Formats: sequence, structure tokens, C-alpha cells
Amino acid sequence: MTKYAVNRRSFLGASTALVGLAMMPSAARAEGEVIKIGTLTPLTGAGGPYGPIMTQTAQAVVDEVNAAGGVLGKQIELISEDDQTNPEAGVRAARKLIDVDQVSAILGTWASSVTTAVAPLCWESGTFLATVSGADAITELPHNGYLVRTQPNTTLQGRKFGEFALEKGAKRVFFVSPQTPFAESQYTNMAKAVEAGGGEAASLVYDDKKPSYRSEVDEIMRFNPDAVVLGGYAPDTTVMLKELYRAGFEGTKIAFAYAVNQQVLDGVQKEVVEGCYTIAPSSNENSTAYKRLVDMIGVESPDPYTVQVYDQINLIIMAMAAAGESTGTAIKDSVRAVSQGEGGTKVDNAIDGLKLIAEGKAVDYDGASGPCDFTDTGDISDSSFRYEQVLDGKFSFINIA
Amino acid sequence: MLAYFIFALTIGGVYALLALSLNLIWGGVGLVNLGLVGFFAIGAYTSAILTGAGTPILVGWGAAIVVGAVAGFIVTLATTRLRDDYLAIVTLGLAEVIRLVALNERWLTNGSDGISGIQAPLKSVLGNQGFNLFYMVMVCFIVLIVWALLRRIDRSPYGRAMKAIREDQELAAFAGKNVLSFKVQAFALSAAIAGLAGALYAHFQSYVSPDHFQPLITIYIFLAVAAGGVGRPAGGVLGAYLVVFFLELTRFVPDLLPDFAPAQFAAVREIMIGTALLLVLRFKPRGLLPERIIPAPKI
Amino acid sequence: MTILLQALLNGIMNGTLIAVPAIGFTAIFAVLRFPNFAIAAYATIGAFAAWWVNVHLGAGVLPALIVAFAVAGFAGMAAEETALKGLRGSGALTVAIGSIALNVVLENIVRLYFGNDLRGYDLPIVPDWRFLGLRVGPQQLQSLMIAIAIMAAMFAFLRFTRFGKAMRAVADNADLARLKGIDPAKVAILTVFLGAGLAGTGGVLIGLDASIDPMLGYRVLLTVFAAAVLGGLGSIPGAVAGALVIGIAEECALLVIPATYRSAVGFIAILLVLTLRPRGIFGERAA
Repeated sequence: MTKYAVNRRSFLGASTALVGLAMMPSAARAEGEVIKIGTLTPLTGAGGPYGPIMTQTAQAVVDEVNAAGGVLGKQIELISEDDQTNPEAGVRAARKLIDVDQVSAILGTWASSVTTAVAPLCWESGTFLATVSGADAITELPHNGYLVRTQPNTTLQGRKFGEFALEKGAKRVFFVSPQTPFAESQYTNMAKAVEAGGGEAASLVYDDKKPSYRSEVDEIMRFNPDAVVLGGYAPDTTVMLKELYRAGFEGTKIAFAYAVNQQVLDGVQKEVVEGCYTIAPSSNENSTAYKRLVDMIGVESPDPYTVQVYDQINLIIMAMAAAGESTGTAIKDSVRAVSQGEGGTKVDNAIDGLKLIAEGKAVDYDGASGPCDFTDTGDISDSSFRYEQVLDGKFSFINIA
Repeated sequence: MLAYFIFALTIGGVYALLALSLNLIWGGVGLVNLGLVGFFAIGAYTSAILTGAGTPILVGWGAAIVVGAVAGFIVTLATTRLRDDYLAIVTLGLAEVIRLVALNERWLTNGSDGISGIQAPLKSVLGNQGFNLFYMVMVCFIVLIVWALLRRIDRSPYGRAMKAIREDQELAAFAGKNVLSFKVQAFALSAAIAGLAGALYAHFQSYVSPDHFQPLITIYIFLAVAAGGVGRPAGGVLGAYLVVFFLELTRFVPDLLPDFAPAQFAAVREIMIGTALLLVLRFKPRGLLPERIIPAPKI
Repeated sequence: MTILLQALLNGIMNGTLIAVPAIGFTAIFAVLRFPNFAIAAYATIGAFAAWWVNVHLGAGVLPALIVAFAVAGFAGMAAEETALKGLRGSGALTVAIGSIALNVVLENIVRLYFGNDLRGYDLPIVPDWRFLGLRVGPQQLQSLMIAIAIMAAMFAFLRFTRFGKAMRAVADNADLARLKGIDPAKVAILTVFLGAGLAGTGGVLIGLDASIDPMLGYRVLLTVFAAAVLGGLGSIPGAVAGALVIGIAEECALLVIPATYRSAVGFIAILLVLTLRPRGIFGERAA
């Protein structure tokens, strides 16, 4: 019994210390008047290849804005949490951002499951959420305007993939993808486009954890495709591309720009990705925002998620300035005023935007991932895509259409 | 801040149920279920699917318990001939198969999109704050009931028989105990509790998806049971709350380590979690609340 | 028929990738009697070590494999001594759970230093050879040969060297081995070196096909376990046979079930085989 009592006492002591420690940082932070924004990106787990650079990009924009005097006369503090590519962990992280840090906006959620899990916490607490997730169902959630996504919805992307394959002279198109929330709608829409052009389409959904896909590729080859559309992410697409090369596939390869990105180009043999086309949402050819971003983070071809996070943080900062207030509700109410402000001056970054807003002028942000105009449900309404091709081990720009 | 504590207590309660579930078979009959998260998933999906089809929430929860128990029953029967270490690996594979089914059987589980908009009981009446408080109290209350039940079992002749099996299965069989029957019952009850935890989690979060049920949670629960004390229900509960507080506390360490980039810090945080489990196993192998073996009453 | 033959060939190639780490896993099990989850991290560490010498020093496949073996082996030894050894007194289950924690720690140490970026070896890739409507990859053949060489070396090592005999003696009966003057502690640590080293070598073979990132080992962990369990935990020929059975079963199953259920095939194979033979194909005598 004595032993038990000692244990209980030491437990009580320990837990008091824990609670104290948990309170301390937020109390310390409350002293300076700052505006808090959170990033919730995958820093570990399956999304790990994408999250770190997203967080870094958001921080770079925040640093730049802070150096130029911040927003609403205050400095911005960016708080970064790891969603571990897992909605259970993601919700815990989001609760901390919302309840303890009291951020007014969260940006960068990547996995569709994490976004769907976190979204209710955001709309219930009046926190603004900007995401790069692809599942169509996300914008159909009852979010009351608290959610926008910069990733085009997959119905559109599927069609673009199909049309692009036809354009490259392909008649038989094979779609290969791991099980993602958008694999099915992407394939259906791609097949529709291909069949409308007199072609034929087939698909295969594979297990994304395997180190080789020989029989999968045999199945692809039996279809005798002119073009293969790769719907996966970087790690599994790497395996698939190597396997296609070994099997002697010489047709057209088309992938998402986030699956065949700079990391993959650096990591695989040149001939494996040579000629592969990539598609990413993008604004016009002379997108100044895109060039600014490339200079800012020093990455030659930033992948679409990085590009979108850049737009999200710029939009959120300008929306606060336009509203004259930094709450999530204020961002929700004024984000469209800065993203698609009628007759507004075109801007490509928050610093210029903040100056114009301070002068009482309207702005219309044209970002690196597109014009960033949102529908009422939070989807982007524009549809231009940036097409690139891997030539001689480098991305070479084809066009934006 | 208060909302955060209420949330942490609710999640702690769900973890506590999982810890009680694991403790029952690990501390009870000495089996290890590395597929705990699979039974958690079964409970969550059962209730989400049923209430989505219109059954009342309490029926959904009841079904989660029953389906969990049935799944546990089937698994033990299919694996009775396996040695413990084989069982550990088989259960790990089982959880992965359950996740694959949830991922691919769109007609039943809505596939990788998951099921969103799961009914939250009384939320429309109580509002957000009220609901969170109510749910926390309710989860804690359920933890208390399950804990009391397991403690009763733990101290009964039945519980002593289980521990006899854990210590020496052959001897227990020799003493006339039906070892298989004990194992099956313990495993089924344990799976039922994990199923209930899953249902409570699903209706709290209003959303379940295959991504929720990665082996990560199983690791946390092992940390909880190991830290709290294997073989003693109170230990599991204490350990679960400690784990949730520890997981949440590690978020505040970057304030002390400002030189790390967020991505590096995320790695440091996981290193801390792994190291904590190793340290507990090494220096507190019997946990904070060590098992008490109560002598059998003298006749 | 060609399709089935091709699937069979694919299965053998796929199986050899898994066989090498499975041998490492099962060797550790044979001597220390616990399933070591950290094998995933050892495979990742080996793959990264080989990547480093390949990209920074221009090492070819063979030297890279040797470096991977050594680095993963030493990492395994160090981790065993600091983290797991102290847990042995609390039973095999405790050590197994400790190894799960150790795996989390090691994976994240790799992540801390290398980040999550995907990497690849700077080695040539060649298209497959074709004959009779079938295709085989020269590189997979190379992996197959390496795997066979490793298995043969392991076999000779266990059979003919003093240490190999000691290892088998400890695996059979530690107490008896001690009576014969064998130091089980020394055998244990060298076995961990060997097992972790083999996992590291396997990691390199996997990294040749897949991308190298901190989750490399974790992704194949279940399949490695399945191979070792199927063959009978602790049996080295068993691990090889198990890996081949799982490799072939996975590829052939694709002809009848959706490819996305591929991971489930290994699991179902284990259940089927274990129901008939509770200790696997090459299962040891009853304990």
C-alpha cells in the first residue's frame, strides 16, 4: 500500500509539472501582439516527401511580410505542426493549433483524409482552412465557406489527362494509380475524354507499398497502350517508371507534376523519366508569382503543392488586411475580395497587395498555381494547366493551356 | 486552452479503453495483439455504417461491441494452434488486411474517401462546447465502468486462472483449466472493448477513413500499457492518459529548440516517443502501477 | 500459359528481394528468440549507407553492398547493446515491443539527417531481356545471384565455421551450448551484426528498384515477416523458401484478384500454411 501511495504522489507531481509546462509557452507567447497562422503538413509518414518544403515556403513568405512590417501593424507568427499523414494525429495537431495557439487559419493539409477530419474543427471554431487535397468530396462538406482548396478538382484533371493523351496521338490509354480518393473519378473522366476521341482506355489500381510491380506492368503491356497515365505519388511512381522502362514501354508517359518532381528526376536514371510529361495547375506563361517563388525558395521546378501553399499564405495575409481584422471569419469573408476582387489591381505577392490595400485600393491576386479564383464551394474556378516534359534530365516548359 | 484539455481527456479515454483491451489479453492470458488497431477500425466502421443507414446510435455502439467480439472470436479460433510470436505477426498482418478492405470495398466503407458526417449524439441540442464536455464525461464514465468490470474479473478466480495460463499454460491445463476456452473468451472480450473504443471515436470525430487505422495507434497503446503496468487495469488507464499528455506535450518542445526546422523537429518528436517507450520498458518494466497478485482466499 | 510462366518468373525475382532481409530477421530470431521489428530500420540504414558511398565516392554495386552490410551491422550491434539488451530479462515479448520503439527511433534518426527526400543510386538501368515471349531483368538476375550467393555463404558459414556452429548450438539450446564453453552473449551480438547487416544488404537490393527514403524498410516489413513466418521462424532455408512462396503467390494472385490487395496475399498465405503446419514450412521441432 505504501508503495502505491508513493507512486500516486509522484504521478500527481509529475502530471502537475506536465500541465504547467503545457501552459507555459502559450502564456509566454501571449505577451507580444502577434497574428498566428498554422501550417499542418505531413512531415513524417507517407506524405513526408512533400510536407517539409511546403512548411518552408510558408515560412519564407511570412518572413518576407514580417520584414516589410507585417500585417495590420502586427508581426505574423507561423506555427508548424506535423499531421504524420494520419487523420488521428492530424486532428490532435489541429486541436492544439486551434485551442492553444488560437491560430486564425490553417493551411497546407495534404492527405484528403486529414483534411476531411480537420475541416469540422475548423468550421466549428471559425478557423479558416486552405488545403491542397484532391478528393472531390472535400468541398462538398458543409464548411460554410471556411475551406478553400487550391488543387483543381479531379473531374477536371481526369479530362485534361485524357485530352492531352489524345493530343499526343495516343489511341489506347492506360491509367495506373494506387487507391486514392480521386483515382476512380479521375479514371472515369479520363476514359470519357479518350473514348469521345475514338480511343480506348483501361485502368489498374495497385498497392503503393511494393518495391516492384512486374506483373502489374505485364498487365499494362498486354493492353498494348500508346500512353500510360500515372496517378500515384513520387515513391510509388518511381518504382512504376523503372518497371515500365525495363519492360520496354516506349509510348507516352503522363504524370502529375507532384509525382514526377525534381526529387524524382534527381533520384532515378535519366532514361527512366526521359520524355515523361507532367501536368500541374498553373497560371499564365508570364506568371510573375511563379518566378518570385522560384527565386524565393531556390528550387528550379517547385512541385504543385509548394506552389499552392505559396498562394494560400499570400491570400490569407491579404484577406486579413482587406478585412482589417485577423480572425478566421474575417479571412473567410474577405478571401474572395482579394483573390478575385472586381476591377482590382493584379498582384502576385502579399507585400504589394498589402500596400495597395492600405491605400484603399482593390486587389486581384494572380498566384503561382493559377488565378486563384474560388467558387462558392471553395474550389478554384479556373482551369489552366502547366504542361512540361522531361528532356535531357530537366523539365522543359511546353505550354499552359 | 480548456477546450484542448477536454479534447485531450476524451482522446485519453478512447486510448484508455484500448489500453484496457490490450491489458486484458497481454496482462491476462499473455497473448499479444499487434492488430489492436484493426479491431478499433472494425468497431468504428460498424457503428458508422449502421448509424449511417439509420439505426439509433446506441444500437450502433452495441453492434460495434458484438461485431468486435465476433471478429476476436474468429481470429482466436483461426490462430489457436499458433505460438505467441507467430500470433503477434499474424495479428499485425490482420490489421493491415482490415485496412485494405476498408480502403478498397467502396460499396461498404466508401473506400479511401472514408465516411464523414457520422452522427454526433446530442450535438444539435448541446452545441459544440456542450457536446465536447458531454462526450468527455461520457467517455470517462464508460472507461470507469469497463475498468471496474475488468478489475472485478482481474480479482476473481476467473482472473487468477487467466494469469495462471499466462505464467504456465501447460501447468494450467494440467490443473484442469480449459486453456483454449479462456484464451478465446479473453480475446473476444478484448476485441469487443476495442470495438467499443472505435465506435466512441467515430462518433466523436464524425469521420473515419482507412488512414486512421495505421499501426501508429497500436504502438501508442503498447506504450500506454507498458508505462502504466501490464496486468493491472488501473495501470492501463493511467498509462493511456499519460501517453496522450506526453504526445501533446512533445509539441511544445520546439519552443525550447528553436534551431530545428519543423521537419527536423517532427523527427525529434518521434524519436522522443520511441525513446520513452524504450526507457519505460528498461527502467520500469512493471510500469508505474505494478501488478498486484492477490493470494487466493484460504478456505 | 506464357502469362502464368511470366508471373512465376516475376514471383521468383520479387521473392529474392524479400529473401535477404528475411534471412537476417530469422537469424536473429533463431538465436535471440524474438521478432525484431527494427529490421525495417536496418534495411533503411543499409540503403542509405550504400547511397552515400555510391553517390559521394562513386562505389559500384558490390562495394556498396559491403558497406551497407557493415554499416547496418554495426548500427544493429550498437542499437542492440544500448536499447534492447537490457530488456531481455523481461521476456521475449518485451524485447519485441522494445524493437518496435527502436525502429521508430532509428527511422527518425535517418529522417533527421537525410530528410524525407527521395534518393536513388547512381547506377545504370537496363531494359529486360526477352525470350520465348517472356522477360527477365538482368538487374533482377543480378539481385537473384547476389541473394543466392548470400544464402550459400550463410549456409557455409553456419555449417563450417566455428562461430557458425556455435550459433547453431545456441539456437538449439542455449544452456547446453554454455556447458560446452560457448559464450551465448558473444554469439548473440555477432548474430545481431549478421542479421542487421543482411537486412541492410536487402535494403540496397530493394533500393535498386524503389526509391530510397526513410520509410523504405517499413514498407516491406510485413512481407519480410510473412516470409520468415511462412518458412518457420528461425529457419534460414525456411526464410528463403517463404520469401519465394510469397513472391510467387503475390504475382500469380494478381491474375485473379485486384492488384490493390497484393499485401493481403502474404497474410492469407501465412494463415493457410500455418493452419496446416503451425510452425511453418521448415518449422523447427516442437518446443
